[in-house]
Amino acid sequence: MNKTALKFSIMITSVTLAAMLAGVWLADIDREHDSRAMLLPDKVMTLFPDPKPLTAFALTDDKNRVFDLASLKGEWSFLFFGFTHCPDICPTTLAVLARARDNIAKSVVGAENIQFVFISVDPNRDTASKLRQYVDYFDSSFIGVTGDNAQIGNLAGQLGAAYQVEIAPGMENYPVTHTTAVFLVDPRARYYAVFTPPHDAEAISKRFKVARELEAGNAT
Amino acid sequence: MRWRHPVFVCLISALALVCAASEDAGVSVRDAWIRETPPGMTMMAGYMVLRNNTSRPQVLVAASSAGFETVMIHRTIVKDGMAGMVHLSQIELAPIANLIFGPGGYHLMLMNPKRTLRAGDPVVINLEFRGGLVLPVAFEVRN
Repeated sequence: MNKTALKFSIMITSVTLAAMLAGVWLADIDREHDSRAMLLPDKVMTLFPDPKPLTAFALTDDKNRVFDLASLKGEWSFLFFGFTHCPDICPTTLAVLARARDNIAKSVVGAENIQFVFISVDPNRDTASKLRQYVDYFDSSFIGVTGDNAQIGNLAGQLGAAYQVEIAPGMENYPVTHTTAVFLVDPRARYYAVFTPPHDAEAISKRFKVARELEAGNAT
Repeated sequence: MRWRHPVFVCLISALALVCAASEDAGVSVRDAWIRETPPGMTMMAGYMVLRNNTSRPQVLVAASSAGFETVMIHRTIVKDGMAGMVHLSQIELAPIANLIFGPGGYHLMLMNPKRTLRAGDPVVINLEFRGGLVLPVAFEVRN
């Protein structure tokens, strides 16, 4: 088999495999939660057919209290990884999330049992008080969270989030890169869905309201 | 409102018959704004729409402001779902074209403001182009 034919064959295999997996996934959704298909396919939100329960992690919130797995239970949580020295992506995303929260708050069910958590990947500069001041600007209900690198990595890893902090000695403004997606964890602390950028407040709040209604319907 | 209305621009262009008039304007800027930040934050971002009115490329080589310790040209790059910033030493503006500095893309990185900036505050940033053109631009802080 020549190179081109091999490449083509690999491509076909990949496409077939992807189609099969998508088929299995959709069929699974169809069987389990018929109405979930309403939210598929979607560029804004990827909904998982079988939400994965998160496991123990230990971080600290902006009031120096423990923020762990128990903190996610009983609430829908929107999680976003960033850092306060981020001038572009982080304030843009947090402003969108603040508007999304406003939209959700105006709905019949409201914004009770919903929390927005900003997880700083830069604990070196982001102290609890700085985080409080930062998130408060966007919405006083937002929670700032950080911790040691191992624990941030623990939660990030469970959500498939990535980040890199390149601290160099004597460098005031070291580069930090981080995942731009917003993660949705359900009140059972399961990784429920992910919102992919570009983020839009109306799109996020609309999807969330449908997802919440579906889950409420399933629970009864 | 500060900016020349497009109708007037068209009118002027029409009166001049050729683009010679806009050739003189060199580079123009509109929608120049700075995102207000939470109190105490030392990093801000400036956005704008740059327009090269000339028939040759123009190169933005630097920016400075009395309102900030440092101003740098940056670009947010999203790769594999991860955002990071790169510093650019210059940006070329194509002839008769716009270049947008906007959230999630090109921006002026504004470090260590000399005073606390709140929505509505004006800040002048000087844009320096290759060849010596310096354009003072009035940015407005917005939330």
